[in-house]
Amino acid sequence: MLRNVYLKSLRDSRKSILFYSIGTMALGLYVTLFYPTIRDATGFTDFLEDLPEVFQALIGDAETYTTAEGFLNAEVFSFMGPLIVSVFAIIAGTAAIAGEEESHTLDQLLANPISRTSVLLQKAGALLTGLLALSVALGIGLVAGSKIAGFDLSITGTAQAIASLYVLGATMGLLALSIGAATGRKGLAGGVTAGVGVVGFLLDTFLSVVEVLEPARFISVFYYFNNNDVMLNGINAAHMLALVGLTGVAVATAVWRFDRRDVSV
Amino acid sequence: MTEAISTTGLTKFYGEHRGVIDVDLGIREGEVFGLLGPNGSGKTTCIRLFLDLIHPTSGSATILGLNSQADSVRIRQEVGYLPGDFVTYEKLTGRDLLEYFANLRGHGMAHAESLAERFDLDLTRKIGELSRGNRQKVGLVQAFMSDPRLLILDEPTSALDPLLQQEFHRMVLEETAAGKTLFISSHMLSEVEIICDRVGIIREGSLAAIEEIATLRERVLTRVEIEFSDPVSAADFHGLDGVTDVVVSDHRLTCSVTGTVDSLIKAAARHTVIRMESAQPGLEEVFLAFYSDDADKEGPGAA
Repeated sequence: MLRNVYLKSLRDSRKSILFYSIGTMALGLYVTLFYPTIRDATGFTDFLEDLPEVFQALIGDAETYTTAEGFLNAEVFSFMGPLIVSVFAIIAGTAAIAGEEESHTLDQLLANPISRTSVLLQKAGALLTGLLALSVALGIGLVAGSKIAGFDLSITGTAQAIASLYVLGATMGLLALSIGAATGRKGLAGGVTAGVGVVGFLLDTFLSVVEVLEPARFISVFYYFNNNDVMLNGINAAHMLALVGLTGVAVATAVWRFDRRDVSV
Repeated sequence: MTEAISTTGLTKFYGEHRGVIDVDLGIREGEVFGLLGPNGSGKTTCIRLFLDLIHPTSGSATILGLNSQADSVRIRQEVGYLPGDFVTYEKLTGRDLLEYFANLRGHGMAHAESLAERFDLDLTRKIGELSRGNRQKVGLVQAFMSDPRLLILDEPTSALDPLLQQEFHRMVLEETAAGKTLFISSHMLSEVEIICDRVGIIREGSLAAIEEIATLRERVLTRVEIEFSDPVSAADFHGLDGVTDVVVSDHRLTCSVTGTVDSLIKAAARHTVIRMESAQPGLEEVFLAFYSDDADKEGPGAA
């Protein structure tokens, strides 16, 4: 695990990857095991249909709770899933370069015969690998839970929703890593990226029902992540490309800037 | 013969703050060079510029014939580096850290193990649990372990006890015998004069002088105090070669000497000497020697 920067970074975050993966798997199990109870609760959907639109935006409409996919879309892929994955990604992203710089270990690392671009890309690779572990664990949790609870779950829908969640996590993590690499400031990297996530979530969820703010949802990462309810309607390639493109621009800018700036002691 | 380090007008500003200004330096391969200056004078800035950890505002540096910025990866393959404050992954054991850096450098652990043994360093302990001196040993081992052509060491012996300083001096001798070049920074003349061939004096970011150690000694003022059994006359000691500031009170003489103390000793020998003390010149005295009127005539920066 000490062969290169990529493996060393994975080694550094092995506990974190393990605990967050347990978390996503537990989320998958909990929600799928809980689903039959909600499905069988009579009167609940009638109640939902009578709610004003703003509350339906908040907790889901009737369809949300009558199909397994709708339920998982609301319970896993609208809030809890993105929250866990984003927190993991932002922490890993800020630690990657700005974190090493602030704990004064980057200087010594870069005194080795290795280019800054290589360090940045290997650390990005480690982050993407960690996210993959969280995603696979979530998938296992969801599929295993549905089997135990005895209902059918669309495997393609689930896979696509997880893929979309993975892209969101990668966007948040690499954005944090990029800001950290470009500035060397961990707090700034974490703060800005968390802001992008929180504002994105608010714009896409609560504020989507405010007509004046409707156009603003296009600047939300959450809009591209799951506005079309991937679990139910499949992945939207254009939306995914928007996130991948944003991430690509961020990483490319970070590579350029990191290579040219001074590293602090 | 190629130069191990060569800089032309090397200048670094951190925003408004001065790092180094217009440094022209030429260090021969196989030489042990000391960069001497007080804290904040720009020693570390020079070193970080050589390793491309920071980029020059203007001017350039050539390390082992390669451009410090364009060829930085190839340069670092050939350079061992010990920073002034060796901070590294605290959760790794010494062995893990050395293994990691050895992997990044593409060599094995044999030399690292033997160096650790030589320093009596326990590699199984976590770096965060080590004392400052032991951590410095890890730093020295990682700098020397790749058998680099050029060693750049920032205040290498600051945390070492006298025994280990001696061991370090032996290592420096072995490296020079093997044809290696060493660049060592320090704020203590006593540290560099034992191991270095030449010394550069840096002050407020500018290189004030580059001197052979022998020449430097000649120019540095040594304070000498001699106690005689009988009262002596100041006239006996005036006009002696290199002797100034003669003060005689009763049977006690104090004076400053530049260069050799020979003429003073011979003059003193005409009397019965009870006790003689000479103070190791500190950095202040070295600077005084270089910024006195005499030094100005020859011009600071004269190599």
